[in-house]
Amino acid sequence: MASNWRSAETAQLYLNRHKIPVIWDIDTRALVRHLRNVGALRGIVATDGTPAEQLIFEAKQLPGMTGQELASRVTCGKAYGWEKSSVEVATSPWSEQMGESDAHSETRKHRVIAYDFGIKQNILRLLVDHQCEVQVVPAQTSAEDVLELKPDGVFLSNGPGDPEPIGYAVENIRKLIGQVPVFGICLGHQLCGLALGGKTFKLKFGHHGSNHPVKNLLTEQVEITAQNHGFCVDPESLPSSKVEITHVNLNDHTNEGMRHKSLPLFSVQYHPEASPGPHDSHYLFTEFTDLMKEFAQPGSSRR
Amino acid sequence: MPKRKDIKKILIIGSGPIIIGQACEFDYSGAQACKALRAEGYKVVLVNSNPATIMTDPELANRTYIEPLTKEYLEEIIAKEKPDALLPTVGGQTALNLAVELSESGILEKYKVEMIGASLRAIKVAEDRLWFKDACRKIGLEVPASALVNNAQDALRLCDQLGFPLVIRPSFTLGGTGGSIAYNKEEFGEAIAHALDMSPVHEALVEESVLGWKEYELEVMRDFRDNFVVICTIENFDPMGVHTGDSITVVPAQTLTDKEYQRMRDAAAAIIREVGVETGGSNVQFAVNPENGRMVVIEMNPRVSRSSALASKATGFPIAKIAARLAVGMTLDEIPNDITKKTPACFEPTIDYVVVKIPKWQFEKFPGADSTLGTQMKSVGEVMAIGRTFKEALQKGVRSLEPSTPWRAPTETPDSLLREKLATPRPDRIHWLLTAMERGLPAQEICDLTKIDPWFIHQIEELTAVNRRAASVTVETASKDLLREVKRNGTSDEQLAQIWRTTPASVRLQRARYNVAPVFKRVDTCAAEFESFTPYLYSTYEDEDESEPGTRPKIMVLGSGPNRIGQGIEFDYCCCHAAFALREDGFETIMVNCNPETVSTDYDTSDRLYFEPLTLEDVLAIVEREKPQGVIVQFGGQTPLNLALELKRNGVPIVGTAPESIDLAEDRRRFGRLLEELKIPQPRNATALVPEEAARVAGEIGLPVLVRPSYVLGGRAMVIAYDVNTVQEYVAQAALMGPARPVLIDQFLEEATEVDVDALADGTDVIIGGIMEHIEEAGVHSGDSSCVLPPVSLSPAILDTIREYTKRLALALKVVGLMNVQYAI
Repeated sequence: MASNWRSAETAQLYLNRHKIPVIWDIDTRALVRHLRNVGALRGIVATDGTPAEQLIFEAKQLPGMTGQELASRVTCGKAYGWEKSSVEVATSPWSEQMGESDAHSETRKHRVIAYDFGIKQNILRLLVDHQCEVQVVPAQTSAEDVLELKPDGVFLSNGPGDPEPIGYAVENIRKLIGQVPVFGICLGHQLCGLALGGKTFKLKFGHHGSNHPVKNLLTEQVEITAQNHGFCVDPESLPSSKVEITHVNLNDHTNEGMRHKSLPLFSVQYHPEASPGPHDSHYLFTEFTDLMKEFAQPGSSRR
Repeated sequence: MPKRKDIKKILIIGSGPIIIGQACEFDYSGAQACKALRAEGYKVVLVNSNPATIMTDPELANRTYIEPLTKEYLEEIIAKEKPDALLPTVGGQTALNLAVELSESGILEKYKVEMIGASLRAIKVAEDRLWFKDACRKIGLEVPASALVNNAQDALRLCDQLGFPLVIRPSFTLGGTGGSIAYNKEEFGEAIAHALDMSPVHEALVEESVLGWKEYELEVMRDFRDNFVVICTIENFDPMGVHTGDSITVVPAQTLTDKEYQRMRDAAAAIIREVGVETGGSNVQFAVNPENGRMVVIEMNPRVSRSSALASKATGFPIAKIAARLAVGMTLDEIPNDITKKTPACFEPTIDYVVVKIPKWQFEKFPGADSTLGTQMKSVGEVMAIGRTFKEALQKGVRSLEPSTPWRAPTETPDSLLREKLATPRPDRIHWLLTAMERGLPAQEICDLTKIDPWFIHQIEELTAVNRRAASVTVETASKDLLREVKRNGTSDEQLAQIWRTTPASVRLQRARYNVAPVFKRVDTCAAEFESFTPYLYSTYEDEDESEPGTRPKIMVLGSGPNRIGQGIEFDYCCCHAAFALREDGFETIMVNCNPETVSTDYDTSDRLYFEPLTLEDVLAIVEREKPQGVIVQFGGQTPLNLALELKRNGVPIVGTAPESIDLAEDRRRFGRLLEELKIPQPRNATALVPEEAARVAGEIGLPVLVRPSYVLGGRAMVIAYDVNTVQEYVAQAALMGPARPVLIDQFLEEATEVDVDALADGTDVIIGGIMEHIEEAGVHSGDSSCVLPPVSLSPAILDTIREYTKRLALALKVVGLMNVQYAI
């Protein structure tokens, strides 16, 4: 059943086409309450009538999230350029724009290299919206190769798994800090935390959803954010002489953002680009382009 | 930001008498605001002219004035009390308009009273349709094309520009009063004259029609730090053209994509900022063209509204309470979420259930009134239902209305009538829709006729498909899976009994055999992400029960259901006080009600709240789970009283006056016999089932006579007949209306003085609370009559007789609790 003027096919057909399993008709509150009490669990979905005991046994054999380096499994095979801007819905009957559009090339002012640890396309779209010329590179690309491309800024993407085993990324980020403005989201934020000498830890059941209140400590304003992470930067582990905590989650007071006190780097744990999700934090993309502009000025204090 | 210290005393204006479009939801919001501000240490001065409210209870404010809500009275109160601030946003349109008057006439300035919650400018921008449209256009949002007119000539010229249909809205009126839709010049001429007449400033807006568009509301909050949150989205089942107060509405919105929703959310934030509502709650309405997604802004209310009361109940987020605290300078992140305790109020509730609100109309009380629904609100009350799916919530909502028995058009109704009933929105459209679906009218055709979103129609189609499958078996042969499936859709035992041509009791029995029983889930603002400390519950057919009943002695209070004429806020007032008193006596209190506009359905009022339909099936399920020591039915008016006998038969311990006594008092024939036994005189009276009998007994009694059905509330369908024909017609009509119950025919006492007596009894002692003398003579319904207390024209001897009769009656009826007796002298 579809009821929307933009609909091209039903959700069911779409999911079938992509072979994505769907779970339905279960007591979701019972499941959430269970996870809330015991913490995140490994799970298994089966439709072939395998007995529950067997499935539980199999699920227990699955590796836990801690210690898993997954970024290299989801990153792109080779570098590519991205040129699409945001997906829009009609804002008036005269602009019935439904899909992604090519941004005008003359508006691209900032050359951004985006590390792909499992990047979400809407981040790329928003970078393009903010006049960035975006080149996406594989997770293992070296800092030297990135700097060789003479970027105005480097973006560190979100991605799955535990940040700690991604040592190569941490090493590369260390080499980039101070050389070029850096903006990180989610896993990118955790990797920045590690690169700055901090530690990360696993949350009991993570943050998932599109209504997490995050306070920006610089403006004292609250943003409603979309979040999807199981690991978290321990703010106590960061060197306070170098790093300033900029964002905190109001539900459990865990860290949601930081910036370097003197060098051009900032990152957030949540998803400012969320789609689906609220748009409250889009300003961070402007802050990134502002930072790049500032850094480009000869004699900038950030240099 | 900490709360302001420069303010000490705050004046709150209530909403005055209950009118259509402004009912007891403002008692709920006003009471919350009073409580919240006092808890923060402020002195609260309250003015309201309506005494039948919780907010005017002496303990709620530091000073309470029951005075007319006019500028003159307010000025005197301000002069005397010298408040530092005025909070105008929790008393509906009445309070807002009065605050504007006080401000514009310089009274606030003269006494140095600051308006908090909303500035004069913000109120004016939001309320003035032209200013508001300009504000929206300024921030790049679209509004329907329109123009303001103050005379008929200009208005007619507009027609050619904008084309028909056109919407006409008078400026500064409440609940859309005086508004209408015109399809041609003739209608338009009439409509514009009426609208200009209704508007206090003789002005109306003529607007491009967005009839049939999808309609949405966003309930939003903002604080001094410019933090902005959406409490919930509301989607109207009935598309644009039906006033939102007359629409079935659904929380959260069901047919928006995230792209569309986020665009709406951004727009709402931009509007509240542009209009300049610095703190508090607002409601913003949008229309979306289903053909191309074009979104236009319809209006905003810079205050707590009927929708915000609904949103508070639908989410567990107490908007009025938080709005009051924001008005004194606190910020959302400083205020804890009552339900989770550990997380702040600065968040957007997650809703893992569906809420459906259905309005309650009473056109049957006003024969001849036009029951077509349009831009002017006509409903008198509403019910809210919670389920895990839209289907379940819709069906629970439908049965929360009175009567709860499902109604379907008779099989001989021609399809043409069915189509007409679908095309024109009237109170009973949902029943016609179900009838049409069951009859197999194609879904596409129903969508075209009703303009209701295809998704909703599809849901109803699925619902009827399951019921059709159920109809192919019997109550005995229905499988457990099928039984569970129909119950998960929210289908009542009563409805199943109709399908299976059996009794609800046998459906119940079959459910018990298969253990198909509801579980109770919590409304917790966070979809179980955090622990909740407030037992605010609803039933559904799933696996895990979260009710965790307590072990203390407990008493359950049955609320009064939707507001009706003759049954308003006063019953809710009684239920709340019952809960307060029982809590003081150490009982755990459990409230059951389905009216979102009330104080009783505030999760603070009792220890546990069940937001459930007041039907036998639903109440029994709660009783089974909670096992209360007693259930109180006498404070909720007719709705719980009608359940009393059946509940008792099912083993429920009813405390207070026994159900048999209630039945005895309500059954006029048996009551007449009791009066004879007690030697209390009564008007000559008789009962009749058929017209011929009625004519005969009317003759015996002597004309004029008062004719009415037994079991009445608020004088429903009562007629004074001066000739035999009227009596016969009445009885013939009554027979058509419903199952055979005798019609009562009483001698009509012309020019008698009517007296109301309220008493309290415990089975041995009777205390008379008050004797009220009506100013209008008998025959004017007591609810429509002015009265004085104490009586002025009655002799001590008559008063003694009244007291004596009252005691005799109370003891004979074994009343334990309240009793009201009416006498004619």
